[in-house]
Amino acid sequence: MAQEPHLVLCVDDELIGLKVRKLLLERAGYRVLTAHNGSAGLEIFSKEPIEAVVLDYSMPGMNGAEVAIKMRQTKPHIPILLLSAYIGLPSEVLSIVDTYMTKGEGPPVLLKKLGSLLQPLSTI
Amino acid sequence: MNLNQFNRILRQVFLLPVIALLLTAIALFFQIRGANSTVALIQESGARITQMGKIERLILSEETGLRGYENTSDIRFLEPYMESAQHLQAEFDTMKQLPGLDAVEKRYIDDLIEEHETWQEAFALPVIATIRAGGQARDVDLNLRGKTMMDEIRQDIANTTQNAERRREARVELWHSQVRKMEWLLLVLALCVGISIGLFTRNRMHAVSDAYKTSLDVLGRRAEEIFQSEQRLRTTLSSIGDGVITCNPDGTIQMMNPVAVELTGWSQAEAYGQPLETVFHIVHEITRAKVENPAQKVKRLNRIIALGNHTVLIRKNGTELHIADSGAPIRDRTEGIAGIVIIFRDITMERKTQDALLANEKLAVAGRLAATIAHEIHNPLDSVTNLLYLMRQGVTKEESDQFMDMAEQELTRVTQISRAMLGLYRESRAPVLVDLKDMLEEILLLMEHRFSDEGVIIHADFPDHVSVEGFPAELRQVFSNLIANAAEAAGRGGEVRVSIAPETGGRLEKGRKQEPGATIIIADNGPGIPADIQPLLFQPFFTTKGEQGTGLGLWVSRGIITKHNGSIELTSDTSETGHGTVVRVFLATKPVLNAGGD
Repeated sequence: MAQEPHLVLCVDDELIGLKVRKLLLERAGYRVLTAHNGSAGLEIFSKEPIEAVVLDYSMPGMNGAEVAIKMRQTKPHIPILLLSAYIGLPSEVLSIVDTYMTKGEGPPVLLKKLGSLLQPLSTI
Repeated sequence: MNLNQFNRILRQVFLLPVIALLLTAIALFFQIRGANSTVALIQESGARITQMGKIERLILSEETGLRGYENTSDIRFLEPYMESAQHLQAEFDTMKQLPGLDAVEKRYIDDLIEEHETWQEAFALPVIATIRAGGQARDVDLNLRGKTMMDEIRQDIANTTQNAERRREARVELWHSQVRKMEWLLLVLALCVGISIGLFTRNRMHAVSDAYKTSLDVLGRRAEEIFQSEQRLRTTLSSIGDGVITCNPDGTIQMMNPVAVELTGWSQAEAYGQPLETVFHIVHEITRAKVENPAQKVKRLNRIIALGNHTVLIRKNGTELHIADSGAPIRDRTEGIAGIVIIFRDITMERKTQDALLANEKLAVAGRLAATIAHEIHNPLDSVTNLLYLMRQGVTKEESDQFMDMAEQELTRVTQISRAMLGLYRESRAPVLVDLKDMLEEILLLMEHRFSDEGVIIHADFPDHVSVEGFPAELRQVFSNLIANAAEAAGRGGEVRVSIAPETGGRLEKGRKQEPGATIIIADNGPGIPADIQPLLFQPFFTTKGEQGTGLGLWVSRGIITKHNGSIELTSDTSETGHGTVVRVFLATKPVLNAGGD
């Protein structure tokens, strides 16, 4: 059956990184929306029927954790994957989001984690 | 009792007997004068009795002569009469002129003269005239009348004499009583004066002796207090946890407390009188150069001195201790130097702890660097990994070119960052020329992401070609630390300004000639640091960042700047309008580097 591709929101201040991630996810069959910072991300998140979020932790303005908290307040059921260039984020930050990965772990890991977040949705 | 009171008593004790004896003498003088006048009166009475005797003899001689003439009618028998009659008038005059005659006596004398005259005229002269005329004067009646007259005269003489004698006796009696009175008076006065002088002197002496006793008591108490206080000071001195050595002004040792004995290895007895430098042998930790004798230095500068860091005490047995010490002059009342006191303590453990702390801070710096490295490298690395993955999936020629461009850009970034990182972590043994602009730009590059994370805006103003000599890795540590602090203080939306101001040198600042160099100014517009916290900032373990900070950053930074012979100053303002903190770090172009600084 022809399934509608999942709509994923990517938020990152690294322009090249964001662009490449969008390409990667699109090739993997997702529809992707992007935002360069937390507030832009939140705006898209509230307007569009986003099904999953790939969120960078370290960003100017609001950091990933703050953005995640706001997202949870409006649509708590939307899964969030937190990306970070740092190793070892504090556990209170990790407890906000569904899953977490370090940048540089490679696309297979990203696709696998994102897939597993969306899996339950597709089975319903 | 003060000296004035004592002198008054002395005067009293001297003057009172003199006055009392003087009064006694005056009383005695009047008494003696009274007695003398009585003696004079007695003498007068004696003179009258004598005179009366003379008159009596003359009258008797007259009568006898007259009687002989009567009997013999021979003129030769009349001679005594003539002789006596001739003198008698003169003797009567003498008698009348005698001093001290009273009315009764005068009347007696007048009667006597009158009766004698009557006798002469009524008896003697007629008898003589009769005989001369060749007659006889044997008439009984006539002779009886003459005898009666003469008896009256005799009676008068006897009365006068008796009267004079009575008076003399009375006067002698008076004199006796006066003398007795004098004796009594003398006795009583002597007794009174003696007793009063005795009592008075006793009373005064009591006052003096009481005062003396009080003085003795006070002195005794004072002595006891001084003794107690000295004991207390001595105990305090021996209980002080630091080594204490006191020296005479000439720099020889007077006293050492037990800690000083323990630290130097010299006993109090051995050290006594030795020059300070023999017992307190100190050298510089690194250069091993002899450190100036603190006693001499105190004397030279005439103030409290803190001795330099890195001082090593060589003990009697040759072992060494790191010590921190200070010296101070002991002032006498005239502000002169009465001695010198040296206080020192063993900081060997402290130094070890400090070294451990420094190592700890180095680890913390390394940790922070690692986090920065992770962030700065993982971002481009992530892009490159993703690009490679995409290319492996098969791409068009156009896409391939585009992806490779992007990968190249990201790798260039990694290279830049790794270069900056290597620069930051390159240790050098000797000081090298550090271009401040390059160094600060590298630091800002590394921290760029952090600033954007924290929402802090950085303004940099770096003139070209400003270089100082120093250890680049350490200076980078200082400035990353200071800039990170400023960014944290500024907070989201805040601003940090970093600038370099070259110093040409020569101008005077705080009485010290400014060396050529540069001042790096890091200013933030954060809330500022309260004045009560400011003095604590450079102390180890002081942090306002809770779990996030080690509390060693500023302490280590100051250590590094001190090692570079530079200075670090912090001014802060917490007011509504001008809040913010400014840190100024001065670095000399060619500093005399403090050896051994860490």
